[in-house]
Amino acid sequence: MSVLVAARGLAVGYGAAPVLTGVDFTLSGGERIGVLGPNGGGKTTLFRALLGELRPLAGELTVAARCGTVPQTERSRLDFPVSALDVALMGTIAGRPWWKRPGRTERRRARAALGRVGLEELAERTFGELSGGQRQRVLVARALVQDAGIVLLDEPFTGLDSASAERLEALLGELAGEGRGVVIATHDVEQARAWDRVLCLNRRQVAFGAPGQTLTREVLAATYGGAIVTLPDGHGGEALALLPPHHCDHEHGA
Amino acid sequence: MMLDAFQLPFVQRALVEVLVLAIAAGALGTWIVLRGLAFYAHGVAAAAFPGLVLADGLGFSATLGAFGVALLFALLVGRLSARGRSGHDSLTALVLVGALAIGIILASDVFHSGSDVEQLLFGSLLAIGPADIRLAIVVALLALLATVVLGRRWLAVGFDATAARALGVRSPAPDAVLLVLVALAAVATLSAVGALLSTALLVVPAATVRLGTTRMTSWQLGTGALAAVECAAGLWLSCETNAPPGATIAVIAGAVFVLAALVRVGVPLLRRPAGGEAGAGSAVAAPTFGSGG
Amino acid sequence: MIALASVLHTLGDPWRDGIMQRALLEVVLLGLVGGALGCWIVLAELSYGAESLAHGMFPGLVLAALTGLPLLLGGAAGILVAALAVALAGRVPGIGRDNAVAVVVTTLFGLGVLLALSPDSPPGIEGLLFGDVLGTSAGDLVAGAALVAVVLATLWALHWRLLAVGFDRLSAGSLGASPLLADAVLLVLLALAVLVAVQGLGNLLVVAVLVAPSAAARLLARRLLPMMATAVAIAIVAGVAGLYLSYYVQVAAGAAIAGFMVLAYALARLAAAAAALRGAAAVASPAG
Repeated sequence: MSVLVAARGLAVGYGAAPVLTGVDFTLSGGERIGVLGPNGGGKTTLFRALLGELRPLAGELTVAARCGTVPQTERSRLDFPVSALDVALMGTIAGRPWWKRPGRTERRRARAALGRVGLEELAERTFGELSGGQRQRVLVARALVQDAGIVLLDEPFTGLDSASAERLEALLGELAGEGRGVVIATHDVEQARAWDRVLCLNRRQVAFGAPGQTLTREVLAATYGGAIVTLPDGHGGEALALLPPHHCDHEHGA
Repeated sequence: MMLDAFQLPFVQRALVEVLVLAIAAGALGTWIVLRGLAFYAHGVAAAAFPGLVLADGLGFSATLGAFGVALLFALLVGRLSARGRSGHDSLTALVLVGALAIGIILASDVFHSGSDVEQLLFGSLLAIGPADIRLAIVVALLALLATVVLGRRWLAVGFDATAARALGVRSPAPDAVLLVLVALAAVATLSAVGALLSTALLVVPAATVRLGTTRMTSWQLGTGALAAVECAAGLWLSCETNAPPGATIAVIAGAVFVLAALVRVGVPLLRRPAGGEAGAGSAVAAPTFGSGG
Repeated sequence: MIALASVLHTLGDPWRDGIMQRALLEVVLLGLVGGALGCWIVLAELSYGAESLAHGMFPGLVLAALTGLPLLLGGAAGILVAALAVALAGRVPGIGRDNAVAVVVTTLFGLGVLLALSPDSPPGIEGLLFGDVLGTSAGDLVAGAALVAVVLATLWALHWRLLAVGFDRLSAGSLGASPLLADAVLLVLLALAVLVAVQGLGNLLVVAVLVAPSAAARLLARRLLPMMATAVAIAIVAGVAGLYLSYYVQVAAGAAIAGFMVLAYALARLAAAAAALRGAAAVASPAG
C-alpha cells in the first residue's frame, strides 16, 4: 500500500518552542493507527500538523492525501440549525469555487455518504438531536464526502455506549479496508491493541509500532508518566489500566 | 482662578457625588472587568432609562423608578444566564434596545420630557441632589462590604464559570449579589454620567488600572483613585465647556486608557524587542488576591 | 361593506404620502438586511459587536451632521474608526476583549455626545440617536438598496463557508473554509448593515433590527434558510406596524419599530415556551 504520511524527526509547536518533538512514523493506506498519550501529550498538536495548520519547526512531514477530521462533537455547536445532510455537505466546500453553492451532484454524494455510514433515514434530522454515535458517523460521512484519503478521529469513542462503539469500530475497519489511512486519538489502550499500529506521545514520541510489541509497561509508563495501575483481567492474567486523565489540557490553549 | 467652578454649590454636590461613586467604581469596576460583565453593566444602566423617564413624568422618585427597572433587568439576565443558554449576549442587547425604545416613546410622546431626555441619557450636574448622594453612599458601602465578604468567591469564579463549577463553586448566590450590586451601582451613576455612559465610571477606570497591576487589592485601590481623579477633571471641564459631564468623563477616561495602553504595549517592546504576545485578546489570567500570592 | 372600506382606508391611507412611501421602502430594506445578516449575528454571538459598532460610529455621524456631509459618509468613516479602535484595543494584553470593546465604545460615544451637545452645535441630536425613518430621502434609498444588495449577494455566495465556520470553527479550516476570512466577512457585512439601518433607527436602536427578528426566528425555525426568511418577515412586519403606529398615534417611528421587533421576540419566546410545555406533555421521541 502507498505511504500516506511520513514524518521524520518532526517537531511542532505553536510559537518558537515545540510542544511535540522527535516524531518518526509512517502511515500507509489501509492502516489504522491509534495515537495514545495523556492530555497535553501532543495528540491535538500532531493532528493540526497533519492538517497543515502548524508548520514543522524541525524535521520533515509529508502528507500525500487529503485529511478529513472527525472532531469531538461536544466541540461543535449542537444548537446550530443544521441537518445531518447539511453537515455532510460541508465536505464539498473545498472542491468548489467560492461563489458556487452545492448542487444536485453534491447532494447526491452527501446522501450516499450518509447511506454508507447507515444514516440515510436521518439525513434531515437536526445534527444536535442525534445521539453521540450518530454524530460521529455523520462526521465520518463528511470526511467521505471530502474524499479524504486520511481520516483523523479525535477521541471518537468518548461517551459512546457499547453498541455505538462497536458500530463505529466496524466503520473504521471498512474505511481502512478501502485503502484509507485512519488515525485515531484515544485514551483506551485496550482498544488500541486491535489496530495496526500505535503511536505513543508524551511531548515527544515514546514509541511507534505494532501494538503487540509496542505496548509494554515501560512504554505506557513513559507515555502516561506513571499514572498506570495493574488490574487483574479476570482470566488469571493482568491488564493495564489508566488512572482517570487529569484536567490540564494544554492543547487547546494557544 | 482656574478652579472657580468648584465654589458653586451644585458643583460641590456633584464633586461629592462622583468621589463617592469612585469608591463604588473601585470596588465594583474591578469585578465587572474581571468577570467580563461590561456589556451587562452597560445594559443595566440603559435599561434604567425608561424607569427614569417614568419617574420623571409621573413625579415619583427617579431612583425608585430606575432601580425598579434595573433590578428587573438584573433578574432577567441573571435567570437566563443561570440556565446556561447560549445567546445570552443577544438577550442583553435585546432587553437593552427594548428598554431604550420604551424610554424614548414615553419621553417624546407620552410625557413630552423634551430636553430632559438628554440629561437622562448623558447626565447633568444640575440633576444631582442630596438623594443621589445618599444613594451613592449606600451603594459604595454595599460594594465595599460585598467585596470584603464575597471577594474570594467572585475571584474563584474568575473569568471561567465552567472552571469554577469544576472547582466546586456551585452556589449562584454570590453571582446574583454581584449582578444586583452592579445594577445598583449603574443606577447610582445615572444622575452624574447618564444612562448611556455609566461604563465610563464602571468599566473604563478599572480596565485602565488593570493594565498596570496584577494584584486585586492594588487594582481596586488604583481604580478608585483613578476614577476619582478622572471624574473631578471631567466635572471641572464640563463646567468650563458647558458639555454634559458624562460625555466629558467618558472622553477623559478613554484618553487615559489609550495612554496607559500605549505605555503597557510600548514599555515591554522597548525592553525586549522580541517579546511574545501571549494571550492577547483572549481571557485574562485572574489576578491574585491580597499580597504575596 | 362600509366597515371593510373603512378598514382598507385605514390601512391604505398612510401610504398616499411620499414621506411614508419612502419610509416603507426603507423599512423593507432594513428588514431584508437585518433579518438575513441578523441570523449570522445571533448564531455567531456578535450582538455585542453590532451594538459597539453602532455606538462607536456616533462621532462620525455627528461630524457629518455638523458639516452637512451625507450621513452615510460620516457613518462609514465612523465605523471604520470604531472597528479599527476595537481591533487595536482587543490586542492590548491583560484586560480581555469585551472590556476593551467597552472602553472603546464608551470613549467614542462620549466623544460623539460631546460634539453633539456642545453649545455651538445645532439641536437635533435625537435624529442621530433614535433615527429618522420619516426623513429618508430618495438618495438614501438608492444607496441603502445598493448596500443591501451587496450584503445579500455576499451572504448567498459564502453561505456554506460561514456555515462550516459557525458550526465548528476548529475543523472548518480542514474543510476549506477559513475562520479568519469568515470573521472578516461578517464584520464587514455588519458594518454595511449598520450603515443602512442607522438612517432608520439611529445609533441606539440599530441593534434592534440586527438582533431581535433573527433571535425570534431562531426560536421558530429549525434550519438556517427558513430562519432567515422568518427573520426578514418579522422585521418587515414589525417595521410596517411601527410606521402605522407612528402615523396614527404620532409616536417616534424608530422607537416604535424597535419596540415591535423586541415585542416579536418576546412573543416568539412565549410561543416556544408553550410549544415546549406541550412537547413535554406529549411523549418525547428520543433519538436512537
